[in-house]
Amino acid sequence: MSSVKLYKSIDSTSANCAGAIGELAGAINDAYAGEGVEIFIKDEATRKDVYAWAKKTRHKIVVDESVGDKLRLVVEKVA
Amino acid sequence: MLVAGGGIGGTIVANRIAQKLSDEMARGEVKVTVLDRSQKHYYQPGFMLVSMGEMHPKDTFAEERELLDRRVGLITGDKGTITKLNPADKAVVTADGSTHNYDYLVLATGSHIQVDEIPGFKEGAQTFFSLDGAQKMWDSVRGFQGGNIVVDVAMLPHKCPVAPLEITLMLDDYFKRKGIRDKVNLHYCYPVPGVFGIPNVNKMMTGVFDQRGINVHSQFTLAGVDPSGKKITSKEGESLNYDLLIAVPPHKGAQVLGDSGIGDRRNWVPTDKYSLQMKGHDDVYVMGDTTDIPISKAGSTADYESYVVANNVSVDAAGGGSKRDYTGSVFCYIATGLDQATYIKFDYTHPPNPPTPSQIHWWGKLAYNRLYWSIHARTII
Ligand SMILES: Cc1cc2nc3c(=O)[nH]c(=O)nc-3n(C[C@H](O)[C@H](O)[C@H](O)COP(=O)(O)OP(=O)(O)OC[C@H]3O[C@@H](n4cnc5c(N)ncnc54)[C@H](O)[C@@H]3O)c2cc1C
Repeated sequence: MSSVKLYKSIDSTSANCAGAIGELAGAINDAYAGEGVEIFIKDEATRKDVYAWAKKTRHKIVVDESVGDKLRLVVEKVA
Repeated sequence: MLVAGGGIGGTIVANRIAQKLSDEMARGEVKVTVLDRSQKHYYQPGFMLVSMGEMHPKDTFAEERELLDRRVGLITGDKGTITKLNPADKAVVTADGSTHNYDYLVLATGSHIQVDEIPGFKEGAQTFFSLDGAQKMWDSVRGFQGGNIVVDVAMLPHKCPVAPLEITLMLDDYFKRKGIRDKVNLHYCYPVPGVFGIPNVNKMMTGVFDQRGINVHSQFTLAGVDPSGKKITSKEGESLNYDLLIAVPPHKGAQVLGDSGIGDRRNWVPTDKYSLQMKGHDDVYVMGDTTDIPISKAGSTADYESYVVANNVSVDAAGGGSKRDYTGSVFCYIATGLDQATYIKFDYTHPPNPPTPSQIHWWGKLAYNRLYWSIHARTII
């Protein structure tokens, strides 16, 4: 369990134009350092995309788990 | 019933409610009123066509009163400008100091461009996301003789997510027809990897961009615009010179939502993705660009949502019938030039599968725009 305070939760389990990364990037932009953004996704390819994006932008993935048929990731904003 | 905002969503939903509750309205049991700061109704999809000289600016707006069903009330100006929303007291305050009480509220105050959020943006970038900006952009495009055109998306989400793809491909076609495409370098900067967020649409459009010789820079998150040096820089550390910068500014929900303590830090209102009710307030429905649902902020979304909101609020108010869920339907044409287009149609369970671009879809796009005033806004269908 991570104790990071959640700024926002995003349900990205269906097609959306900004894509999971677009929604995540937008929310992380508005989060304060140390806050987290939770995102629910459906597939492994998107999970890999989130990891690649987090690495590039130097934010931290603090939760990565399966919840039913969804994947739940929490990304913590690093300054 | 109050409808906050008489744009695409607010107008269509008010008209549909009037059709559903015509008997109750005739008996004086239900009253529907739209509040908007402006008497004019702007059809923003037209702005993009204005920016490419394909539509006259005066065809992008009409009198709101003429679009609304005559049984629906309309209050505009200071009396219609909402300065505070108070869902706990079921009340809305307007700029003239009046308090309007409601039994049911529909929030449709839209999304709004933030040209001051990124340093140098206002001074250095042109944008077709306002009517004024679109007119200026057309002057710049017409006069452009050659050099670097940079199309940049500052931040996601923004309304009409396909618009940056469209404007880039329309510019390509425009300069080709003018015979100077070889003198124009087209660049497309996007804040996430690829050119679009939906994988198969991204794949298709990446192919089209490649064929058309458009340079893609992604992930490119706009950090600042240097108007004197004519240069943009990204948070990823890339910089790019431009002769003409065409950019999509960051967006926010209406300021009044933030001022009323509603919504997230970008004023998007927490909304149930199926019932379209504001989370924690069953008597408030939210539609169009105002919601925080990760779906296209598009006029077509608002139109699809209007069926659900009009139905459910009518059931709430008058009883009878059964409630419906919004299934996530979205339909957007994507212009791929000045005489061809494709489209995406999808919902929560069916991803889009865009057809090969063709002239038929371009005519479909133009026809939708032309018929907006006579058919769609008036909810003839
Ligand atoms: C360049 C461009 C191209 C587009 N192309 C397309 C397209 O091809 N297809 C498509 O489907 N969509 C397109 N869109 C998106 C579409 O225009 C919007 O998604 C749509 O207008 C959203 O409808 P809405 O009712 O949520 O908000 P709006 O139509 O923006 O209406 C909001 C209303 O609320 C009012 N308001 C705001 N604050 C207050 C207040 N405090 N008090 C009173 N009134 C208030 C405003 O005056 C406005 O009338 C495009 C948008 C742009 C900018």
